[in-house]
Amino acid sequence: MANNTNSKAAKPEKRSLVSPVVAAVASLILPGLGQMLARRFRRGLIVFASVASITGLIWWLFVDLSRSAQGIGLMLTKSLRRAPGFVILVLVGLVVLWLLNVWDAYRETQTRHRADPTVFILIGIVFFVLGWQISQIDPVTAVVELPDAWPPLSKVLWPWEAAFERDTDVLAASADILTPCDDEPPPEAPEKVEGEPYMVASPTCGDLTELDENNQPVLGTTLHLSASGFAPNTETFIFWIDPIGQEFRIRQEGAYISVMTEADGTFEYDVTMPYRLTPPSAEGRQIHEIEARQITEVGGLKPSEPLRLTMARMVETIFLGMMATIFGIILAIPVSFLAARNMMSGSFLSIALYYLSRTVLNIIRSIEPLIWALIAVVWVGLGPFAGIIALTIHSVASLGKLYSEAIESIDPGPIEAIQATGATRLQTIVYAVIPQMIPPFVSFSIYRWDINVRMSTVIGLVGGGGIGFLLVQYIKLLDYRAAGIAVWFIAITVAILDNVSSEIRQRFI
Amino acid sequence: MLEIRNLTKIYDDGTVALKNVSFTVEQGEFLIIIGLSGSGKSTLLRCINRLIDPTEGQIIWDGVDITAAESAELRTVRRQIGMIFQHFNLVKRSSVMTNVLAGRLGYADPWQSLWHRFSPQDRELAIKALGRVGISDQANKRADELSGGQQQRVGIARALMQEPRMILADEPVASLDPVLAHTILGDLDQLNKEGMTILCSLHYLDLVQRYASRVIGLKDGEIVYRGSRADIRAMTDEQFKQVYGAEAIRVAAGLEGSLG
Repeated sequence: MANNTNSKAAKPEKRSLVSPVVAAVASLILPGLGQMLARRFRRGLIVFASVASITGLIWWLFVDLSRSAQGIGLMLTKSLRRAPGFVILVLVGLVVLWLLNVWDAYRETQTRHRADPTVFILIGIVFFVLGWQISQIDPVTAVVELPDAWPPLSKVLWPWEAAFERDTDVLAASADILTPCDDEPPPEAPEKVEGEPYMVASPTCGDLTELDENNQPVLGTTLHLSASGFAPNTETFIFWIDPIGQEFRIRQEGAYISVMTEADGTFEYDVTMPYRLTPPSAEGRQIHEIEARQITEVGGLKPSEPLRLTMARMVETIFLGMMATIFGIILAIPVSFLAARNMMSGSFLSIALYYLSRTVLNIIRSIEPLIWALIAVVWVGLGPFAGIIALTIHSVASLGKLYSEAIESIDPGPIEAIQATGATRLQTIVYAVIPQMIPPFVSFSIYRWDINVRMSTVIGLVGGGGIGFLLVQYIKLLDYRAAGIAVWFIAITVAILDNVSSEIRQRFI
Repeated sequence: MLEIRNLTKIYDDGTVALKNVSFTVEQGEFLIIIGLSGSGKSTLLRCINRLIDPTEGQIIWDGVDITAAESAELRTVRRQIGMIFQHFNLVKRSSVMTNVLAGRLGYADPWQSLWHRFSPQDRELAIKALGRVGISDQANKRADELSGGQQQRVGIARALMQEPRMILADEPVASLDPVLAHTILGDLDQLNKEGMTILCSLHYLDLVQRYASRVIGLKDGEIVYRGSRADIRAMTDEQFKQVYGAEAIRVAAGLEGSLG
């Protein structure tokens, strides 16, 4: 018995092959070797694998940090300069780990000792430090840059100012300006129509502001604007429209010009003709336009475009999830019977079919819906249909598995009883199998619908339609308020669905 | 009406459940099969209506060998043989009525019945069957709302729906308390008196002695005892030991003592 080291009873008596000192020296040369010689093979293997991979990772990180400097010395000094904390910590860790491994080997040769996890704890700590460096964790940046996150974050958290808007009414009057002045008569003042805004500029020709060779502005002609027929005491913006129809608000000393109209709806204002970059081909006479514009909001609040789009996409998202679930259920039912052991234990062929469908389901399920969506987008193009295909594929696989497990766990008693009445196979399924399957079936299906709607909010990120598509666009356009509206809608919908689905599931069990 | 010839069943894992079992059942008998758990009682009963396919031997029903009967022929035989089970084997989530009507599936139109459509006659028959076991007021309850005794009565009603010529009862009272056991067997006894042939496996000796018209004892898949009504009433400890083994004798003796 004592000689039989393989038997369980003999295990505590496993003797070390070498003396403690030899084991220690062995581990000093090759970490883990001493433990192996002390017949703690697995412990030695773990220590060796850990120390080896830690050393390898440190080397790799040093090469990375020192930008592939030649020579170990140069590499060390360069790495030390770039990440002193990490380099010191990790080198000390490695040395301590090496020494601890020696001590551990020494101890492991003794037959009676308490289990000592110190070396494993240290291995864990060193891996943590390495992971910190490799994954570029940087809490300092996170704290310092936190204020930068606030403006977009606040817009996402409370986006509702952008959710509603009013219709606008524009009152505008313009005058033509010729540049440069020449022998021909300058444009005439526009005709005055009673009851409509009216503006004249004088003169009606002049020079645009230009830049000299030092990029210093050479101011252009000053135009005197006199206008009437505008809404009284209202802010009025002055626009410049160039010959090809591009318009912009005129700035003076960096600020946009805006004029308040008098109580009788008139204003007088002096404007310097702005700088316009004109192409060399635009030689000769050019007619520009100056325009005064009042924009007033009229009527009640109405949903803004982001809100309307978000609602439309949200509806699309919910239906995307629903359709994918319905298709998933329809396809998963026959598949689940193929993948249920108790339904397929008849012949060799059916057992082969069982293993085949199980394997296929497992493979499909292990591929995330987002990846299926990428494939579906290639297949049917961008849009919700691609999302439906992706979610359907994944739903069939996961529902197929859940259903088949539900079928496998049904009580065989009723099946036997119904068979004994002389019922056909189909009758047996309808009367004995299906009634037992309804609770898990309903529960799993609703759960899946829940998952599918949640998934469909992100499937748009890869072009699969739904609200994710809109969300990613808003984020890329830096329109955080609109993005915030989308995020809010996703959160509200998912929360409602969560409650509804758990409520329904509880009723059915 | 039923003849079993040299029946042997060996399961795929090599377990020998039945060894060369032969016996006959006559019209109107109340034949009880006794034996320990694992002695092959359930396998034997399930071989008769071919829920389990025997490895060797013949099952002769009304002079016809049904050992290899398939599909339609098999279903016709099955619907003549009602079966009730230890765990009732009701569909728990379905109503009592649906469970009882399921007994009629062997007669019903295979396609119509898939949509739970049964003829008015079948429904009438179901109400009658429930009335016969005294639970017609429970027809619209869910099966799992009923007590154990009531559930077994639903099981009997379902078997009656087949208008069977024989009822196989696989330990029909093993999950019921002794009082209920008597009432359920009383129901079966009543059916037997009305002419029904009953083949029943049982554990309790006192019930065997009270209801059996003939007894077969199974041990390790072999018939080790055959006895008439008179024999079983006079059954000795030695004979009992043969069937139940040494450990069981005292339980049996205790039961015998409690006989009324």
